[in-house]
Amino acid sequence: MKLHLHVGVVETIDESTLDEVLAVAQCTERVLARLAPNLAVLERDDAEKVIAALEANGLHPKVMR
Amino acid sequence: MTEAAANPIRRFRAAELDLLGVLEVVIARGPKVLKNGLPNLAFFRAANAALARPDGETEGAGFTQVEFWLSLARELELVEVIDGCLQVTAAADEFYSAAADERLAMLRRAWLESRDLNEFALSHELELPSLKRGRTVDVTTDIPLAERMIEARREVVRIVEALLDETTLPDLIRRLERESRDLFISHQEDGSWRQVYYRGIRERGGREDVERDGSWELVEGAVLRLMCALPLDRLGWIEYEPRGQVITPLAEGPPAEPSFEAVVQPNFEVVALGDRPDPAALWRLARFTTPRPEGRVRTYVLERKPFADALGRGHSAAELIEFLAGLSRAPLPQNVRFSLDDWATLSERIKIWPDALLIEAEGVEDLSALLPARLLERLQPSRLSGGHYACPAPAPDALREVVPPRRTLLDYSRRLPPVIAPGEDTALVAPREELHLRARQLLALVSRGRSTDRYELDPTLVEQSAAALGSSELMRRIREGLSKSLSATLGLALRTWAGEFTRPYAGNAEVFLAENREQAELLDEMPEFRRWVDRRLAPGIFLLRAGGTAGVRELLKRLGIPMRDDARGR
Repeated sequence: MKLHLHVGVVETIDESTLDEVLAVAQCTERVLARLAPNLAVLERDDAEKVIAALEANGLHPKVMR
Repeated sequence: MTEAAANPIRRFRAAELDLLGVLEVVIARGPKVLKNGLPNLAFFRAANAALARPDGETEGAGFTQVEFWLSLARELELVEVIDGCLQVTAAADEFYSAAADERLAMLRRAWLESRDLNEFALSHELELPSLKRGRTVDVTTDIPLAERMIEARREVVRIVEALLDETTLPDLIRRLERESRDLFISHQEDGSWRQVYYRGIRERGGREDVERDGSWELVEGAVLRLMCALPLDRLGWIEYEPRGQVITPLAEGPPAEPSFEAVVQPNFEVVALGDRPDPAALWRLARFTTPRPEGRVRTYVLERKPFADALGRGHSAAELIEFLAGLSRAPLPQNVRFSLDDWATLSERIKIWPDALLIEAEGVEDLSALLPARLLERLQPSRLSGGHYACPAPAPDALREVVPPRRTLLDYSRRLPPVIAPGEDTALVAPREELHLRARQLLALVSRGRSTDRYELDPTLVEQSAAALGSSELMRRIREGLSKSLSATLGLALRTWAGEFTRPYAGNAEVFLAENREQAELLDEMPEFRRWVDRRLAPGIFLLRAGGTAGVRELLKRLGIPMRDDARGR
């Protein structure tokens, strides 16, 4: 078990959705780790960038703050 | 005495809608906070328009009521500044989950104990030239400090609570001037040469400080007028009728039951109708809609973002839809119900924790069995794909109490220690237990795993990553990620793969050409290279010993650096 504090986490319904989400936010290369095909860990700034990019495209993810 | 003013709680319920209106404007606008710590003018205008009886901005009254409610909201931490914008907090949800009399008690306490609120500054009858922007006193002045104001408020409350009969405000002011002349400002030395003026206090539009002699009603009276009209009246100590300036004491009594309903329209607008709306229910509604409190009718617009935000705060779609349906007598319009369900489904497809505590399961670990019960209970992390868990990053104290002992907590808000050590040639060593996600990201960008702790730099991956990130950024990450500085061999290999150096040349004449000065220096540092060098002819040009071309070619091939076949191009 490892505890990672202050990271951004993105989980999607499937792998292709995650790929799309990361591509929309131009964060594909900035992913820290993909712990599962549909689960990516990012830096916090990048996670905020993902939220902003999705909202700018009319998508409203479930954001847990 | 009106029916609504029959007792403190009824009086307060009407006033509380003003506080609700101010908070709803904060939700709807998320106003920017200026350098002086106050939200922008557009916010004040919108919040003023949301009040039952707005202040007349053009009449010089400013936004006294908005400032008052905002001060109390700040005191109770119902709002806070996040990323330069004013936003409501989880404390506001807790506040509205309390009963009306508890909310009244909290607001009363907030006013009585407020250190930031100063009624002298709030009164539009007075002008305080000694006050800096942001309302902080910075020069010699007679404006009472926070402690004095706190004492004075308690004294004023004690006096009005002791009132038995109806009185007028002028009478009360005259009485206090007689009996409690030093209520706010000491008048012990009035008449001496030092106490001629109220220092730093002027009448609105006045050019000089107010003279003390005969001005108690003007200065202290202004503060008392403000106290009667705002905290004392709105927080249910008295009923104040401004036209006749009549003060009526209130007696305890049962609260009036809220009476209102919400009409949900097919255009996604929710209109709150009724003369006694329940602020707590309206608050719940405001938290998953975009409120429009301005104007005579409170309207709430159902929109995707606030709805998705509410889901993110832990509410379920079914719970919110049920709550909405419960406010309305008629069934929800079909299109609204369908859209809310649809928004929830779409929102659930992408979940984001922008600042999380991630609990990573390593290997075949089953975290559901391993995680301490108090951690699960306190933090309520969500289970993710792959058996990992995540929750919003908790406060350090809360985390310390629930983290299992002897577990390392990797804090990504700080710089993490470099844990990758360069090995022989192009090998990297990184112990699995110490590996954090930033190091893993770096390893994934440039290497392939060979065993549990060992990795091998991969020229193709380095080339791809350099193309995606830029070679200088990639090299920066590599240098920061390694626990030791790059050896000449590794530096040469990586920078060549990343495209910083062109391929070198060595031909039959046993002359070696390196394009780049740094490249030549790195080569010169390598003993395996130097053993083939006879002498250096010029920067980047080496004369090799007999058979040197083949030897150097072999050495560079081992590092994944192919040599070019043509000497031209230099």
